[in-house]
Amino acid sequence: MKMLRLLTFILLGSVLGMATDVQTYTIRLQAESDETGKAVGVLALATCTPGVLVLPLGFAAVEDLRLEEPAVGVRLESVARNGMTQMKLTLPADIPAKTNLKFSFRLKQVFQVTKLKPGEKSTLPASSRSFKHAFVNTQEGVIGNYRVELIFPNGLMAQAIREQLPKPAKNEVGPRVLLTKLEGRQAAILQLSKLQQGDDTSMVVELVPIRRSYGWLIAGLVLAGLYLFCFRDLVTKPKS
Amino acid sequence: MAAEAAQPTKAPTLQDLLNMEKMTLSSKTREAQSPTEQWMRYLGFPGGILLFLLIMYLPAGAGLSAGAQAGAASFALALVWWVTEPFPTYVTSLVLMFLLLVTRTSNAKAIMDVLGMEVIWLNLLAFILASMLVKTRLAKRMALWLVVRFGHKASWALLAFLVLQLVLAPLIPATAARCVMTLPLMIVVATIYGSTEATPNNFGKNMMLLNLACISVLSSITMTGSSANLIAVGLIQNMGGQRVYYMDWMRVGAPVAILTMVLMWILGQKLLFRMKPEEQVPQVEGGLELVKKQFEAMGPLGFQEKKAIAIFGLVLFLWMTDIFHMRWFGVEISAPFAALLGAVIVLFPRWGILSWAEADIPWHLLIFSAGAYAGGLALDDTGAAEWGVRMLFGGMNLKGVPFGFTFTVVISVMMYSHLLTTSKTVRTLIMLPIIITLAKALGWSPISLALPAALCIDWVVGLPISGKPNVIMFSTNQFSVGDNFKYGMLTCTIGVAILVISGATWFHWLGITPSFWAVAP
Repeated sequence: MKMLRLLTFILLGSVLGMATDVQTYTIRLQAESDETGKAVGVLALATCTPGVLVLPLGFAAVEDLRLEEPAVGVRLESVARNGMTQMKLTLPADIPAKTNLKFSFRLKQVFQVTKLKPGEKSTLPASSRSFKHAFVNTQEGVIGNYRVELIFPNGLMAQAIREQLPKPAKNEVGPRVLLTKLEGRQAAILQLSKLQQGDDTSMVVELVPIRRSYGWLIAGLVLAGLYLFCFRDLVTKPKS
Repeated sequence: MAAEAAQPTKAPTLQDLLNMEKMTLSSKTREAQSPTEQWMRYLGFPGGILLFLLIMYLPAGAGLSAGAQAGAASFALALVWWVTEPFPTYVTSLVLMFLLLVTRTSNAKAIMDVLGMEVIWLNLLAFILASMLVKTRLAKRMALWLVVRFGHKASWALLAFLVLQLVLAPLIPATAARCVMTLPLMIVVATIYGSTEATPNNFGKNMMLLNLACISVLSSITMTGSSANLIAVGLIQNMGGQRVYYMDWMRVGAPVAILTMVLMWILGQKLLFRMKPEEQVPQVEGGLELVKKQFEAMGPLGFQEKKAIAIFGLVLFLWMTDIFHMRWFGVEISAPFAALLGAVIVLFPRWGILSWAEADIPWHLLIFSAGAYAGGLALDDTGAAEWGVRMLFGGMNLKGVPFGFTFTVVISVMMYSHLLTTSKTVRTLIMLPIIITLAKALGWSPISLALPAALCIDWVVGLPISGKPNVIMFSTNQFSVGDNFKYGMLTCTIGVAILVISGATWFHWLGITPSFWAVAP
């Protein structure tokens, strides 16, 4: 009888677990100059039902994934799948219908490392760093609002947003990836609402050192001076 | 040399003036006409560089990427050089394209692909069609008729063109098409009044710039005047939840556009480019009588002219009926492809009208356009344009201020923002959602700001790079970038003033805008 109840609980839990509504899913990743990063995430769950909830993290080599403010009975495990890390949350039977979960993890390497083969052309300057994040909603429920905030390391700024998907819909105002300031540093925010199962979103941001080369200044001033000297006849009256 | 200079210049005969085969859209740099222009050219080069450096080395705003900052700096440099002309405009375009690459604002493919854009193709094909009108003398015949009919006074000749553009605007949505159709007439009429590429005068400036403004501004009479207008209507419906009907648009758009152009017809002649008495009458020996004789001497329409009418009629028909193409042919023949079909017939061996060598295609102009589009696209792609608009609206606290103030700010920003973009569609897609959101956030009905703002979409008159017809008109070499800027800015300023007055009165009576003194709760 005990076994039957446990089996019923697990089956029911796994079925109902899929119905747990993820209202918001936010990750704030702070990248450091040594290219490591510390991330803090917040999940706002509604209509929580006991069982297992699996959510992708959208990052590969994740370390030290844990709940920051442990909710009673909630367990968090890290599961590797297709080279990416997923969060496996086990929600207890007595979980409140509305629950906020705060979790954190570390990244050893925030930016992409591209190893060039001999003779292969580099697509980025040596001083550039590329950050890539891709997220697919693999679980059955809808994610109300998904948001990833990348805070750049000190001394770096965005050169360009190389990818921001999906394209904003007609009724959306503003770009998919917004550059802004968070905690005193430049940051990129990826945001998408109402992700159905299978919906995906991604961003690729290229970062460069904030300090610009003085080459432009020198070349510009020299050219301007040369022009003023060599083309002065444009405004001087010809000698009769 | 001195002897040559001493020789009196012989007055051109009507035959000389109307020898259109000699008129090519050449790449010759226009001479600086006044000491001010000379100084502008001299100081424009370092001025552009200084502006570039200033924007490049300014502390970057958090919302702006380094690429966007470099793109804005490069575009600012090009704008200064286009206006002051230390180089021919096409050289500036080439410099801009190079800068976009080396500052890593755009990649090589994105820059080079611009030359394959629809607008460049349309320009190229349009010039082939224009060459056909010139070679068959159809343009000359129509221009002589116009002068005989309305040319007793220069101002009436100009008014005739205003009316012509007013009639064509609702019929042909493609502005470049309208421009190509009427450009040969403008050149001939300007020539009769003594304004040629070599000796441009104020009649020529008025003629070209009035047409340039009319072609764009009169597109705002109807919501089908351009595809960007329709996008705006869609955004107002989707985001603002308010439907704009054809007559809703026309009731507000037509009076503003027509009144502005009538005022510009007057102010152009009386204020900006005052015509000397001799420029106000046909400058040919024998005067109007000779023009009349010349027109009569052309005799009835020749076979080649009829052929040209038929070809142009076919292209025109395809331009005018584009909404039915899918139903009729199962495919939409867009404006460039309609022109392409015309070009194929025109260039067809034996049955055609022109050989390739006879087609007057100003490649320098296409390069100029390509550079401008590459710069404009870079501003859009990097988010610099959108960032600028957000900063502008975000920097002004419009909460709790009277509606009239917000209305004036929105209209002004929308009107003058065309100077920084080269695509009406992109500008609409950037600006309209922001304006609709702003209206909602401030507690106003979205249509009260969005519809008047949408009326400004087509007013792309400030610079030769601002619109397709502008580039084509600039090829006549009868006005400088500075002249275009002056005329365009006055047009836009009058437009803003009329829109603001209309917003307080006419639009309010129609129920579109609230009272100008109203403050949102």
